Amino acid sequence: MSMQALNQLVARSIIDPGVVQAFNAGRIGDVLTDLDFATDLRGRLAEVKAETWAEYAVLAYRIVRAEIQVPARIQLPSPAEGLLPKQERASKRHVA
Amino acid sequence: MISITREECQWLLGNLARGLVEYLGVVGPPIPVEDLLEHPPSPFDMDFGVVNMYSHLWDATFARTPSQRGSVFVRIDLNPEERRYSLAREALTAMVTSEHGRAMGLPDLLLSSLREWGEYFARQLMAPDPLVVAFRERGGGEDDLAKTFQMPARVATLRWQDPSTALN
Repeated sequence: MSMQALNQLVARSIIDPGVVQAFNAGRIGDVLTDLDFATDLRGRLAEVKAETWAEYAVLAYRIVRAEIQVPARIQLPSPAEGLLPKQERASKRHVA
Repeated sequence: MISITREECQWLLGNLARGLVEYLGVVGPPIPVEDLLEHPPSPFDMDFGVVNMYSHLWDATFARTPSQRGSVFVRIDLNPEERRYSLAREALTAMVTSEHGRAMGLPDLLLSSLREWGEYFARQLMAPDPLVVAFRERGGGEDDLAKTFQMPARVATLRWQDPSTALN
């Protein structure tokens, strides 16, 4: 939901000068309150410092993307391992 | 000024295009690009004019008069799909150089590659992510995209390959 909320905010900013005015006045936190961000994330987004609204949007995107990043893939053994002769496999394992 | 990746720029432009589509209240293709320019959101009242021209030099180009009023000058003999695409592409230049666009800080991020980003923006405006996702879910394929969204075939091919920005 966080990325959707940010998408919604950025989309709104192109037709609603109020978003940019709030950012320039240091009141972007007020705008974020109306959107579906988790409390902790909203707090962090409200603290982001940027020279312009567009830069703020990109920095916010980085934060939200990092927040929703999928966990690392499960590490499976290499399929090549099954192709090695038994003895070599054992010695490789021993070395490792 | 921060440096911005290609993916971040695509995300930003995809959402700006979505904002304009939401303003139009459109729920299905094709997006009425010319209506957007004729009846723009209030921040672009001075920026979205359209002037038909006889020209062999370009399909469309954006320019401002000394009074700062902006217009897209578009070749009068373009076919409807090419006309829609050219107007959508030049709309980004209008936005970036507008008072609102400058207040947003868009020139810093987009001005250096405006032509390239204009082409990307035009694809997103003519075929916004939510509508393309719905089109794919209904079984729509690459071959139908140009016809459904009324865009030039070469543009539809590129749009089909564009990464999704709406749901990531």
